[in-house]
Amino acid sequence: MNEESFVVKFLGLTFNLTNVVSGLVAMIIVFFLVWYLSRNLALRPKGKQNVLEAIIDFTNGIVSSNIPGEQGKRFNLLAFVLFLFIFVSNQLGLMIEFIIGGKTLIKSPTSDVMVTMSLALMVLLLSHYFGVVVFGAKGYLVNSYLKPVSFMLPIELIEEFTNFLTLAFRLYGNIFAGEVLLTLIGGVAKSHGLLTEVVALPLALIWQGFSVFIGSIQAYVFVTLSMVYISRKVEVEE
Amino acid sequence: MLSQFVIGAAGGLYIGDLLFYAISFIILVALVKHFAWGPITKMMDKRANKISGDLDYAEKSRNEAEQLAAKRQSELDKSQSEATKIVSTARQNGEKQRQTIVTQAQSDADNLKDKAQKDIAQERADALKGAQKDISALSIEIASKIIQKELNAADQKALIDSYIEGLGKQNGAR
Repeated sequence: MNEESFVVKFLGLTFNLTNVVSGLVAMIIVFFLVWYLSRNLALRPKGKQNVLEAIIDFTNGIVSSNIPGEQGKRFNLLAFVLFLFIFVSNQLGLMIEFIIGGKTLIKSPTSDVMVTMSLALMVLLLSHYFGVVVFGAKGYLVNSYLKPVSFMLPIELIEEFTNFLTLAFRLYGNIFAGEVLLTLIGGVAKSHGLLTEVVALPLALIWQGFSVFIGSIQAYVFVTLSMVYISRKVEVEE
Repeated sequence: MLSQFVIGAAGGLYIGDLLFYAISFIILVALVKHFAWGPITKMMDKRANKISGDLDYAEKSRNEAEQLAAKRQSELDKSQSEATKIVSTARQNGEKQRQTIVTQAQSDADNLKDKAQKDIAQERADALKGAQKDISALSIEIASKIIQKELNAADQKALIDSYIEGLGKQNGAR
């Protein structure tokens, strides 16, 4: 984990090249993974098709447990891609750490708060958009903020922001902390030659394994919470 | 490092990243949908349809089989009762036929017996008549031989005839 990164300005916008490249790598991995898994589809699934269908069933299960019925079907694809992207992003930094001249080029995209905030913002904007699509502008406002009781309005409004921040920071914090600790263990390993390397190796192994676990759990949590937030906008509040 | 926690700090808020992620994520979703999601969900739907279709078909076939079995059973029962009926009819017919045959035979036998009795009576009568003639002729011959000279033939014949008449009467009364 290196906090230095490539920053470029383009068309008056600031781009963090580390995030851009890492995100692109993660997306390419996701795309080619599903592309490879979806070759030679058959009515009787076998091998890699089973893997893909298991993932799809898993994400469909997340969606349908939060948004039941026909309503939830349109979010299946979003949940699937979101889950795979966050999962791959979380694991990416554990596998590859690409540093050029003291500046990181590839790491876990989700260990940057800007990326997780982008994802959280996307999901929450989608939730509001679908709220309007389902209930109409007026119905959306009433359903989202004035039900079940109207005096909760201030809390509902604050909740919109806390939802956004917690969704972004939960993912970011978990992955960032994982990478920081891995970097620290790496630093310890290199500090006093062979002795510290021997000590640090099992630590690094254990923490790597734990990070894989955390990355998977966080991808699941992020998708689940996204669907919860969407469901609160598109389902009728009682 | 801490600058990342301060939103809006110089160089910390990369709006470009946000746009990049939003756009590239949409592109990723579109690509996944086109290359993987579409085909595989279509395949899964197709499979689900096929399974439900197969289940429906199996249900239908089972119902049909049950119907056929019931029909077969009822037909079997029907044929059994029919067979019983046929057998009993045949038995009745046989009984009737036997009865008629026996009756016929009885009557035939009676007829034959009657006829035979009649024939026998006739024959006896004929024989008697023949014998009467023969005896009378014979007696005349014998008598004429015994008492050739004393009696003429006409008186002799009248005497014997009267005797035979008496004999015949005696016979008829007996």
